[in-house]
Amino acid sequence: MLNYLFRRLNLLFITAFILSVIAFILTYWSSKNTLADADAGYIIQYVKYMSAILQGEWGLSSIDQQPMLIKGLTAFASTLELCFIAFITANIIAIPLGIFAGLNRNSLLDYLIMTIALIGLALPVFWLAVITTMLPRLLGIPLPIDGGISPVFEIPVVSGFILLDTLLAADTYQLDAFFNRLAHLILPSSVLSLFLITEIIRLTRHSITMVMKSNYVKAAYAKGLSRKEIVFRHVLKNALPPIIHQLRLQLSTIISFAMVIEIVFSLQGSGVWLLSSIKEGDYLALPTAILIISGFILLSSIFIDILLMIISPIKRKSLYVD
Amino acid sequence: MRFLFAFTITLLLSGCYKNESTLTDSLIYCPENTPQSFNPQISHDISTLDATTHQLYNRLVKIDPITKQFIPDLATHWQQNDNKSSYTFFLRKDVNFHQTDYFTPTRFFNADDVIFSFQRMLDKDHPFHSVNRVTDSYFFNHPFTNLVADIIKIDDYTVKFILNKADVTLLANLAAHYGVIHSEQYAQNLLSKGHPERIDFYPIGTGPYKFKNYEIKGITRYLSHPQYWGGRPTITNLIFDVTPNNTKRYAKLLSGECDIMTYPAPSQLNTMSVNPSVVLSSIPTANVALWSFNSVKKPFKQKEIRQALSYAIDQKTIVNAVFFKSATATDTLLAKQSWAYNPRSAELQYTPQLALQMLKENGFDFNNIITILTPIDHSVFNPNSHKTAELIQANLFDIGVSSEIISLPHSELEMRLASGNYDTYLTGIDVHIKDPDSLFRPLLSCDATILEGNSSQWCSPEVQDLLDSTLLEPNFIKRIKNYYQLQDIVQQERPYYPIAHVLRFDAFNQNISGLHVNALTGIDFQNVRKIEAQ
Repeated sequence: MLNYLFRRLNLLFITAFILSVIAFILTYWSSKNTLADADAGYIIQYVKYMSAILQGEWGLSSIDQQPMLIKGLTAFASTLELCFIAFITANIIAIPLGIFAGLNRNSLLDYLIMTIALIGLALPVFWLAVITTMLPRLLGIPLPIDGGISPVFEIPVVSGFILLDTLLAADTYQLDAFFNRLAHLILPSSVLSLFLITEIIRLTRHSITMVMKSNYVKAAYAKGLSRKEIVFRHVLKNALPPIIHQLRLQLSTIISFAMVIEIVFSLQGSGVWLLSSIKEGDYLALPTAILIISGFILLSSIFIDILLMIISPIKRKSLYVD
Repeated sequence: MRFLFAFTITLLLSGCYKNESTLTDSLIYCPENTPQSFNPQISHDISTLDATTHQLYNRLVKIDPITKQFIPDLATHWQQNDNKSSYTFFLRKDVNFHQTDYFTPTRFFNADDVIFSFQRMLDKDHPFHSVNRVTDSYFFNHPFTNLVADIIKIDDYTVKFILNKADVTLLANLAAHYGVIHSEQYAQNLLSKGHPERIDFYPIGTGPYKFKNYEIKGITRYLSHPQYWGGRPTITNLIFDVTPNNTKRYAKLLSGECDIMTYPAPSQLNTMSVNPSVVLSSIPTANVALWSFNSVKKPFKQKEIRQALSYAIDQKTIVNAVFFKSATATDTLLAKQSWAYNPRSAELQYTPQLALQMLKENGFDFNNIITILTPIDHSVFNPNSHKTAELIQANLFDIGVSSEIISLPHSELEMRLASGNYDTYLTGIDVHIKDPDSLFRPLLSCDATILEGNSSQWCSPEVQDLLDSTLLEPNFIKRIKNYYQLQDIVQQERPYYPIAHVLRFDAFNQNISGLHVNALTGIDFQNVRKIEAQ
């Protein structure tokens, strides 16, 4: 177990080192005129930079003199919130659809579901987001299309996850602010979840098909189990790990799509933050965003690995390989 | 099925969501840009004026929107001496300054506040004179430096303005946006805390709304001023929610996320005007969209080249294609409603043959590629600078002149302008008071820098002399004559090609009433009422 963790962490350190070098180069390039000891060697400066980063001193924003780290984390929390909502929605919708398609492979239902999934795959997210901003007006649904929460509500930033913060501020606004935030998230997360739905349907369908072909399922049929029992007892459990594994690879795509969608919907988050910082010439936001976002992706991919190891016996084998 | 189910559930959840249009004590105004500061004495852009002049402050006098007469604001009445060289103002009593979480006033408004507000601009040794580098802008103290010699406190509620010489523009200047009154007590308070720079960003005034907070993403919140001398406004929460994209502003107006929006896209005006739920208001302004020729750079040093290019431009098509009905095509820099407008100004004629002939006669190098510099974002002067530039490019191409469009974001544009490395520049100018000087001086004075408006880098002793002498000319007929002469010179020399005088448009929902917009000093929310939308 320790051996395995050590191997994973090893990979983490190498990747983190490369990322920190990129971040350092960006920082150096954006603020070389303001560095105190610009004459010192690159290595000394890098060491100093890293020690400052590790102590949490990520520099100040040139726009409002606020600490970069806090700004970056707050913005990223909002992006994560969007991703999370979209992820939940997508799972609720896509996993059942994928299972149906996988179980009834090459049936009319399968073709129908896969057609929808392919259409979803073919639509560019940016275009879809722009079209979605027109939907409320066309359909007459009173949904907001701009911003993260109505400016009527002043929500103090506690966790950065605005849904949580609105609940914490429930003394002032009851649940109005919470529902307002939720309403603001519906359209952006629908767009983001469409991409995820497509992805999850395809993965689930494939995974279910594979499992259904396997010998133990055939054996289960031979044992006389009903189809329902087979699906719930054997198929689902074994189909899940490959899906999680594949979704891990999509994590960075999801986050970058979320950032694009944020910009279309003016939803405060890392996409909007990064864009406006660059527009205002606050280039320190670039390395900050690289470190935060890639750091998150690295950590979560390791976390998912460990999770897979716990739930999947096949993966667990890798524990004992030296 | 499940998808539909999930979607219906979320839609039901959104039923708990209350639209902003149901909150009658909160008003959301969606402007196009963030204000540069919260002091109209130092920032003259329209976003700052909208966010400050009428909301946070009062002036000594103001202009009645209907009769155009000067009416009392913080001064109840005033007297001028016989030769109009001094004015005495009698101040309103029991006027409260804002009480906020950063300042609590302990006295009423009095003469000290008036003196502080103007001495900051006039007195070079004043502790606030150069705070926030306001003196970098030529326009900071310009309107008053030549005008006012001194301001004397006669008693707590009487002040006397002594002028350098007889001048009729004092009242107009006091009614302009930079005539706002700040709190002297607050300034002293800031000075003792060592943070004088906060005066322009954490404002204290006497206006109907007080400043609450400003968020970096472009949200400004105001609260109504409960002790406002003119009666407490019916709106408690006034919120400015900056939305740069004009399509989105309109969508937000329709969805009730905005109650009032400013500057709709010209292309939307037709659909807006037929929408029964939206009210569209328009007022003419003296703001003009221009194409300026860099008169210190070859080949635009030559008057004939500048003239030739102005014959080559099809102004009518540009105005129809870019501005739609949001502007009126113009031949002159000065708007027709100005008293100094010269009705016999030469007209701009679209005659490409003549242009070609003039270019050939004056040895224009047709291999030369001229640059057309434009801002990348749309501005208040021009809803689509790039499209305008493309139309100009096509017109130039027709007479064999090749050109290159350079669209730059704001910060890079300023750098490029300051370097002087451009041939032509698509821009505009906004005018602060009705006096023609406020239009001509930034464009034509040798003292005005490129960033202040003189993008043609125009400097001629004759024009400078006319500008300076007219400003101090007591005889009104003579002033008009001088401005006629100035306009003739400008038409001849053609440092600028005027494209159109823009209108200011604001749109608001049916449940809003009492909105007043002033073309010069900005939007006024004091008497706005909001009823629940149907």
